[in-house]
Amino acid sequence: MKTPWQPTLLAMLLIVAGCATPTSQVALTGNVLVDGPNAIANGPPRDRVLWQYRTAAAAMRQGNFGLARQQLDDAIRTLGGIYGNDPGARKARSYFHGEDKKTFIGEPYERSMAYIYRGIIYWMDGERDNARACFRSAEFEDSDAENREYAGDWVLPDYLDGLATAKLGGDGMDAFKRAQSLARGVKLPPYNLKANTLVFLEFGPGPAKFAGGQYGEELHIRTVPSPVTSARIGVDSLRIPVAPTDDVSFQASTRGGRVMDHILGNKAVFKSTTDTIGNVALIGGIATAAASRDQTTQEIGLGIALAGLVSKVVSAATTPAADTRTWDNLPHYLSFACFPLPAGPHVLTVEFLDPSGRALANLTKTINLNITAADRDKVVFVSDSSATPQTL
Amino acid sequence: MKPLFAKICVPLCGVAVAAFFAGCASSGVKNPSGVPVTHMNADEQGFVAGTGVESQDLVHVADKMARSILDIPQIANASTAPTVVLQPVDNQTRFPINKDIFLTRIRAQLNSKARGKVMFLARNQMEALEKERNLKREGAVTASANPMVQEFKGADYFLTGSLQGISTRTAAGTSDYILYDFHLIDARTSGIVWEDSAEIKKQGLEDAAYR
Repeated sequence: MKTPWQPTLLAMLLIVAGCATPTSQVALTGNVLVDGPNAIANGPPRDRVLWQYRTAAAAMRQGNFGLARQQLDDAIRTLGGIYGNDPGARKARSYFHGEDKKTFIGEPYERSMAYIYRGIIYWMDGERDNARACFRSAEFEDSDAENREYAGDWVLPDYLDGLATAKLGGDGMDAFKRAQSLARGVKLPPYNLKANTLVFLEFGPGPAKFAGGQYGEELHIRTVPSPVTSARIGVDSLRIPVAPTDDVSFQASTRGGRVMDHILGNKAVFKSTTDTIGNVALIGGIATAAASRDQTTQEIGLGIALAGLVSKVVSAATTPAADTRTWDNLPHYLSFACFPLPAGPHVLTVEFLDPSGRALANLTKTINLNITAADRDKVVFVSDSSATPQTL
Repeated sequence: MKPLFAKICVPLCGVAVAAFFAGCASSGVKNPSGVPVTHMNADEQGFVAGTGVESQDLVHVADKMARSILDIPQIANASTAPTVVLQPVDNQTRFPINKDIFLTRIRAQLNSKARGKVMFLARNQMEALEKERNLKREGAVTASANPMVQEFKGADYFLTGSLQGISTRTAAGTSDYILYDFHLIDARTSGIVWEDSAEIKKQGLEDAAYR
C-alpha cells in the first residue's frame, strides 16, 4: 500500500501558514519627522510609543516643542497605564510569539528619557512643579535595577528636582546631595536661584539593542564611543565649559537581568529540547521503518517519525527572540548649565568638543535668545543634531 | 484494517485546514468588530488604570474638600459671602498633572451646591477685566455704573493646596501614595482657617513582559 506522504506534508505547511501573522508595514523614508507621524497613524499599534519617542526627540531638535509635547504626553499616558492584564504582553510571554509582540514602552533608560524630555518642556512652559514630577518619574523608572548600585542613579533628574524645588521656594538640598553622590568625578555647581537661563545639552550617538544567544533570546546593548565628549557655551562675555552629567549608554547597560530574560531563556530551552526530540524521533522512526519488513513495525516507525516532525514544527514555531526595538535617536550624553542673563536679546553659541577639547565646527549651534524678564526662566534645549540657528 | 498512518493522517489534515482558516480569519486584527464607546462615571475606575492621579481620585478629593469647606464657621456663619481667590496647587508628586483641575472642581462644586455662600474672584481674568474697565473709563464702551469707582474686590481668603507623594518600586510591584492637602488662608491675617486632606494609595504589578 502507498503511504500518503503528500497530504501530511501539506497539513504541516497549512498549520505553519495558519499561524503566521501578517503585520502592517509602513514605508520608511529615513526622516523621523515624516516616518514617525506615518507610523503612529498607520503602523502596528504596539509600536506607537516607540515612534512617539523618536518623533518627540527629532521634533525637539528642530525646535518644534509643540509636536514633542503632544507625542510625549500620549506616550507617557501609555507608559503609566501598563498594570494588569494586557493581551500583547501575554502574547510576548507565550512560546509562539516574540517579545516584540508586546506594546512597546521601552526599557527603563528609554522611559526615563521620555520623562526627562517632557520635564524640559514643562520647565520651558513655566510649570516647574510638573517638570520636577517628570524628573522624579525619570529616576523612578530606573529604580528596579538588578544591581541596586545602579538603581535610580541618573544625576541630572535629581539635580533638576532640587533646582526646581529651590526655585519653588522649597529646600532642594536633599536632591542636590543625592545628585552629587551619583556624579562620578563631576563637581556639580551649587544652585543659583538668580540663574534664569537654563541650557539642556545632549550629544553623541545613543545606545542600541541587539539580540544574542543561540536563538536571539538575549537582549544586549551596543554602545559606540561618542565623537563629542563635552561642550562649551558662549553668551555675551561668558564662556562656560560643560562636562557630561549623565551617560545614557551607561544607564542602558547597567540595568541587569530582567524577569523577561528568564522567560525568554525558558523559551529557548523549550525550542532546543523540542528540536532535539524531533531529530531523534525522525531519524529513529525512519530508520525503524526502513529496516523492518514487518508492516506493523513500519507503521510504528512512521508514527514515531511523524511525532518527530510535529516536535520539529513546534520547535520551529517557538519564538524566544528578545525585543530589540530601540529608541534609536537618543543621545549618548546629557548635560546642563544655568546662568543669569539680563532682560533683552542675547546670542548664545554652543560648541561641541571632541575628546582632545577641539570644537567640531560643523556642530556649532547658534540660538538667538530674547530674555523677557529676569525672573522668568528661559529654557534652551540644544543637541549636536539640532537645527541652527534657532530663535527662542 | 486501515493502516495506522492513514488513520493519523486524516484527522491531522482536518486540524491543519481548520488551523489555517482560523489563523487567517483573525491574524493581525485586534478587536475586528471594534469596541463600542463606553460611558463611565467620573468616580469609577475605568479599564485603563495606572497608579497615578485619575478622574475617580479627583472626584473623591474635590467632593470631600467642597463639603468640608462649607462646614467652617467663617463661611457657614458669614453675614456676607466671603471672597476667595484660587492659588495654584503645588504638585510635589512624581506625576505631572493638570493641577488646576482640582481647584476648578472644588470651585464648581461650591458654586453649584452652596450658591451665595462663597464668592470666587476671577483673578486669572484680570488682564481682560482691566482692559474692559479702561474702555469704559475712556468712554469707548457703555457702562452700567460709574467706571471710575473701584469695584474689583479684594480677597478674604486664598484657597490652595499641595499634592505630595511617596513612591516605591520593587520586584513585588509599584506603590504610589498621594496626600492631597488643601487649605484656606485668611488674606488679612495669613492664618490658615481651614485645612483638610485626603489620602489615596494604589499598587500595581506590571506584566512580567515589562519587568
